[in-house]
Amino acid sequence: MITALQRLIEASRGIPPDRIPVFCNMLDQGARELGLSIREYYTKGEYVAEGQLRMREKYGYDNLWSLFYVGKEAELLGCRHIIYSAGGPPNVGDMVIKELKDIEKLEIPADLAGQPAMAEPAKCLQILNREAGGKFPICAYITSAMTMPVILMGMEKWLDLLLNGPFSLRDELIAKCELFCQREIAAYRALGANVIVYSNPFASTDILPYRMIEELTCPSMANDLNSGGMGGVVFYCGGARLEKTIDLAITRQGFQTLYLGPRDDVAACKRNAAGRALTVG
Amino acid sequence: MLEQIFDQYKDALFDTDRDQALNIIHSALEQHIPAEEVIFQVVVPGLEDIANRMSDPFDISLSQHFLTSQITSDVIDLLLPAFAQPPGLAGRLVIGSAQGDFHSLGKRIVIGCLKSYMIESVDLGLNVAPERFVDEAVRCGAQVIGISSMMVHTARGENGCLRVRQLLKERGLEDRIKIVVGGAPYRFDPRLYQVVQADAWAENGMTAGKVISELIKEG
Repeated sequence: MITALQRLIEASRGIPPDRIPVFCNMLDQGARELGLSIREYYTKGEYVAEGQLRMREKYGYDNLWSLFYVGKEAELLGCRHIIYSAGGPPNVGDMVIKELKDIEKLEIPADLAGQPAMAEPAKCLQILNREAGGKFPICAYITSAMTMPVILMGMEKWLDLLLNGPFSLRDELIAKCELFCQREIAAYRALGANVIVYSNPFASTDILPYRMIEELTCPSMANDLNSGGMGGVVFYCGGARLEKTIDLAITRQGFQTLYLGPRDDVAACKRNAAGRALTVG
Repeated sequence: MLEQIFDQYKDALFDTDRDQALNIIHSALEQHIPAEEVIFQVVVPGLEDIANRMSDPFDISLSQHFLTSQITSDVIDLLLPAFAQPPGLAGRLVIGSAQGDFHSLGKRIVIGCLKSYMIESVDLGLNVAPERFVDEAVRCGAQVIGISSMMVHTARGENGCLRVRQLLKERGLEDRIKIVVGGAPYRFDPRLYQVVQADAWAENGMTAGKVISELIKEG
């Protein structure tokens, strides 16, 4: 019988599998499954792995997530305060970059896998691999360099810096975030993640004008991704629409799998992809 | 002549060229065009032009929206001292992000845009408790409370708009103070504002000016 991983591989190669692969973004819901608060759930990789395995078994979909919450990436770069809510995802409560001069001080750890903030996700991945490796795709979530400053300094300050400068500092921050992205992808691959969901809303014309995407976002995506290779990379616009930049995503960056936004016109996106990439969502 | 200035100004907004927009306004003042005419025949229609383009899919991005708000705010600051008579205040609102929500961008865009409608905004910041929304609205004499939420649980949660509504009811303030909400969850579900018992919602900063003006007039 075909495994979920084989199903995904066949679909990504354009071979019709036994059925369409079904990926569910079940994250915080694992806490309820285990009868834990969201705060407690995220204290241990064992809990998150158990939550993922139980939910996949219960609902029968095809993927597992190693993602805890997006703010985990900020913790890897020094965020010391995460805000928990009873009814929603944890949120960054302490901006690593409070003032522009903090950009110069920002350091990207060479050994991300060895960082304390990575310990529990690493345990989670170890368990997922032991229990489901080779059978189910194990997804990791990676924030692009263009987007990472949002969780380091806040959207408002990032847009200000991105659009109004000082541009030398902007470029320095993007370069540091590119290095973080490269190292994070390498760390997650080494820990056994085989699907990299690469999130970049700044590649959507909902966020930036097309010209800026061509001139700024595309070169940055190349820096994020080229050193680690494009195998297993899914391009996700962070909930924004992909329709107008699908051609750029395919021709400039070579994305083979495009995760459409909830407001995208699926038919228009498939027309734009024109058989050159798999559309998912 | 104003038409030509308007065309140049809206092109500068579309190109997010802050320096050019300010130059156009400076040039209009140098030509002795009254500041009142510049605001009401150039700046406000410029915002409305961007708002109209936002209703066409993909024409305007968030970054253009953000910079338009910044430029408008700068231009209003530049023009107000040039008024022959100080302009009357149309109204006042207190605005903040819902409790548990630390997203500031939408709020900032709205505040920038409201200036052109002569509505004063009192920024309560992020993660604002419902009691504080009401207390500050009373203290400032605001006709409207603006609650921004980027996340579904802060929009729908019991410490967001629902609690602000309950407090207004308990204190007998519903006739005097209206609630407007905005943010991503409301764009995904345009009826959500009713679920959380707000009086109105605004899709973006440009429409927020109109919506809030109408709420103030109704009051």
